[in-house]
Amino acid sequence: MDQSVYLVTLMGTALVLAAAFSSLIAFRFGAPLLLLFLGLGLAAGTDGLGIDFDNARLAYFVGALALAVILFESGFGTPLTALRQAAPAALSLATLGVVITTLLFGVAGRYLTGFGWLESFLLGAAVASTDAAAVFFLLRAGNLQLRDRVRSTLEIESGSNDPIAIFLTITLVEVIAAGADPDAEVLLLDLVAGFVMHMGVGAIIGLVGGVAIVRLVGRLNLDHGLLPIFVLTLSLLVFAAGGAFGGSGFLAVYLAGLVAGNSSIRSAASLKRFQEGVAWLAQIIMFLVLGLFATPSQFLPILPASVALGLFLIFVARPVAVWLCLIPFHFPRQETAFVSWVGLRGAVSILLAITPLLGGLEDGRAIFNTAFIVVLVSLVVQGWTVGPLARRLGLIVPQRIGPLEKVELELPGSAHHDLLAYTVVAGSPVARGERIPRWARPSLVVRGGRSMKYQETGRLIAGDHVYIFVSDRYPRLLDRLFASRTEVSPDDADFFGEFTVDPRGSAAELEANYGAGVSEAEKRLTIGQLMRQRLGGHAEYADRLPLGTIELIVRDVDDDGKIVSVGLSLEPAPAVTNIPAFLSPAELIDRIRAMFRRPAPQVSEGTPVAKPAEHTGA
Amino acid sequence: MDLSDLIDVPAIMPGLKANSKKQLLQLLAERAASITGIPEREIFDTVLQRERLGSTGVGNGIAIPHGKLAGVKHITGVFARLETPVDFEALDDEPVDLVFLLLAPEGAGADHLKALSKIARVLRDSDTVAKVRGTSDAAAIHTLLSDTQGSKAA
Repeated sequence: MDQSVYLVTLMGTALVLAAAFSSLIAFRFGAPLLLLFLGLGLAAGTDGLGIDFDNARLAYFVGALALAVILFESGFGTPLTALRQAAPAALSLATLGVVITTLLFGVAGRYLTGFGWLESFLLGAAVASTDAAAVFFLLRAGNLQLRDRVRSTLEIESGSNDPIAIFLTITLVEVIAAGADPDAEVLLLDLVAGFVMHMGVGAIIGLVGGVAIVRLVGRLNLDHGLLPIFVLTLSLLVFAAGGAFGGSGFLAVYLAGLVAGNSSIRSAASLKRFQEGVAWLAQIIMFLVLGLFATPSQFLPILPASVALGLFLIFVARPVAVWLCLIPFHFPRQETAFVSWVGLRGAVSILLAITPLLGGLEDGRAIFNTAFIVVLVSLVVQGWTVGPLARRLGLIVPQRIGPLEKVELELPGSAHHDLLAYTVVAGSPVARGERIPRWARPSLVVRGGRSMKYQETGRLIAGDHVYIFVSDRYPRLLDRLFASRTEVSPDDADFFGEFTVDPRGSAAELEANYGAGVSEAEKRLTIGQLMRQRLGGHAEYADRLPLGTIELIVRDVDDDGKIVSVGLSLEPAPAVTNIPAFLSPAELIDRIRAMFRRPAPQVSEGTPVAKPAEHTGA
Repeated sequence: MDLSDLIDVPAIMPGLKANSKKQLLQLLAERAASITGIPEREIFDTVLQRERLGSTGVGNGIAIPHGKLAGVKHITGVFARLETPVDFEALDDEPVDLVFLLLAPEGAGADHLKALSKIARVLRDSDTVAKVRGTSDAAAIHTLLSDTQGSKAA
């Protein structure tokens, strides 16, 4: 008995360690990390080193728990601002998007494989959810900074579409397992009613659970070491409760994370660090177990059909779904294209593909294998190309501030104040004599090993350690003061334009100098107001606004979303790749009209357009 | 378009001395006035008006003040290389020592913008800029500005 403990632990730790080391390799080569984990699992499994693991129930159990941990962390790490910015689009993708993907994939599956209709849709549901971890690892590894809205949309989509895909899959498994061949109408009605019920209960339990977690953490004076474990356990409790009461446990745990992460929970920083770690472990374990569970030698006969399906998913199903879902949100074409390409499939799809086995379906194993290959195709094709594509589409924005040396210290007994320790870097504004605002006067400065008062130090010099005690709602301004200078590289000039203009300047003046096509009414506005109005009331860092023959670019916004710095480009970016797909409805109508009326009069240049965002790539 | 179309050797001031942004713009306007025949005051006011919209200091010690004037016949440039840099309220706070003033006719539209972006591109080339900084000969500066890699890319 005790020998087997050692043996299993030895194998388990060896695998996890190998996975952890492979992350270093992945960082170096930008390879999709999860592919490596999966590969390790496969290599150690039946057809590789020969670890015989064929327990579907256990694999599913481990995977589901791991997913719950990952979802809680994902919710915990999603700030409310991101949610506000991207929730509608992301939810459209997570609900309607999943359904459309399922249907399209199901139809293709029916004709490409030997499965029946229901099984094909089941397969579609399993691969309909996207995997966030895969994407964000790649972006981080490539040091790619995405535009906020694209990033938030992808992040929230991938977190919130899991519960929906899970619901669809499990319902379909149950329907098939029951053996009945139900009326399409009855099935649909059951699905909708079940869905509302399932998600409603999950949401309520999740929200209540989240609040309860925050309250409990605040009330109980737990030991520092115990606290993260306590929160982790509570999150799993919410997950279990959600499922036990007939709701979606996955939705519940995600929402609980969202609530907890956005309340001023005690020790937020250390909780976050802990959860990141646990989520990593969960990822690794999930992929290893799923890799172990698969049997590659069975893949060969279904390989061509499955690869074809994978490609269909990438090039047809996902793009169509994304395009339809994002129409109301006026995403520029490049962003729509990117969102659709970043529909990476991951562990959740494989996990869901186990459910047919659990349900005892006849084709269970074949469904699992097909889904597995589809995920592999997605990871290889999309995973490897995310970074280059983002660059090609011009979605990468330059770093906002230069590198920064900062440590956040947690204070006992206070959730509203932080002690920030900055190291002054050469070239940063403070080192060049910029004054620190009064609300952030350093409590202590350590210079050359000696601690002194800020009043005694005079101008800060590089290498000083500065301790500042501030409210946790400190603006980003403070970081900027201590950050080293951002390089204004030629790329940035291309991105942000050759010149700067003052957003407080008058739009009429802009018109006079550059013929920007500003209407009479708009001439009374400041440039900042004009931009916000044309951008639909909301301006974001790196937003671009074509005006006649010039283009204005938001270089910076303050904490209230007001534009504080604007770039002016004289040659509106021709660099943007033109993608024929993803036309907005207006563009579509334009093109169809042009087909009928050959000598179609072109829209005159410089007419004020209501939604300039759509015209970026036109 | 080539920068030599916009600027002649007499329009280049290779060793200008100025103490402030205002004086610098005045000196540039003075030279532009002698080339175009437009009153210096008018040029100065136009360029200053544009500066109110935001400094035309583009960073790395370079500024490209510009404006549109009814009396200008064709797009005209004046270039100055300063002995000692002056503060130009540039975005990167670096004082400025290379200045290209560009004046365009009222109706120049796209050509004006094209010329501006061409100048910006040429002056973004660190090689050219270093060489311009290293010489105090007007003809040499004219050659440097005219035949750069940038002119091929245009």
